[in-house]
Amino acid sequence: MRPEPDDPDIVDPASRTRLAWSRTAIAFAAIGAAMLKSSPVAGLIVLGLTVPVWATARRTSDRSGAIATVRDLRLVTVTVVLIAAAALAVAFLGHGPGTLGELLHGH
Amino acid sequence: MTDVGHQPDPEPAGPPAESEPDPRFTLANERTFLAWNRTALALIAAGLGIIQLLPPFHGVPFGRHAVGLPLIVLGAVIAVAAYWELNRNQTAMRRGDPLPRSVVPRLLSATIAAVAALAAAIVLLSVARKRAADSRQGGELATVGPSALGASQ
Repeated sequence: MRPEPDDPDIVDPASRTRLAWSRTAIAFAAIGAAMLKSSPVAGLIVLGLTVPVWATARRTSDRSGAIATVRDLRLVTVTVVLIAAAALAVAFLGHGPGTLGELLHGH
Repeated sequence: MTDVGHQPDPEPAGPPAESEPDPRFTLANERTFLAWNRTALALIAAGLGIIQLLPPFHGVPFGRHAVGLPLIVLGAVIAVAAYWELNRNQTAMRRGDPLPRSVVPRLLSATIAAVAALAAAIVLLSVARKRAADSRQGGELATVGPSALGASQ
């Protein structure tokens, strides 16, 4: 028999999933904060990308059963790939532009 | 009239019947996806840390990039593979099929082992080049040193 959303059998896995979303959002924020030191602009961009992931975590916790939509999961994947691209850019450009002004005027 | 000898009509060929799986399995699939993405983020952070924070290897100018870049690329690959596997597992569960085997753990293990071997080789090469440079410098000082000292006095 399929459990109902309020069934204790489904509440426990849903809580674990909500915690997994929170850990993932914290991981995104942590990598953004770590990148701030070596490249403030890239770090700020990554921190900005953390916002939609955090919003998704909040949204799934509000929803009964906490199952994310395909769009939410695709957003996480795209964000990780964008962070990897930013990390590659920082790796190839050395320390990268220190400020937004340096980025705009070329450094 | 009896149905003896009557063969049931074969099912029409088409996509297999699908039904929404138990939410607990869907949630477990989602948690696995999120765990892979956190692993991907950790790999990206490790790669970036190696490139940006490690001191350069003596005599191996691209050593840090050789170790760090594969980790960053692996992070991106794992994120995409996790999404692909999430969809594949969800489809298998909807059809009631057994879950397909995941390739991501093997990919992760193989790449980390290869990067570790590469890092060990770069460290050994760097140490060997540093020792060779030190002994060359020491030899030059031994031959040139006394006369150079005498000339300066």
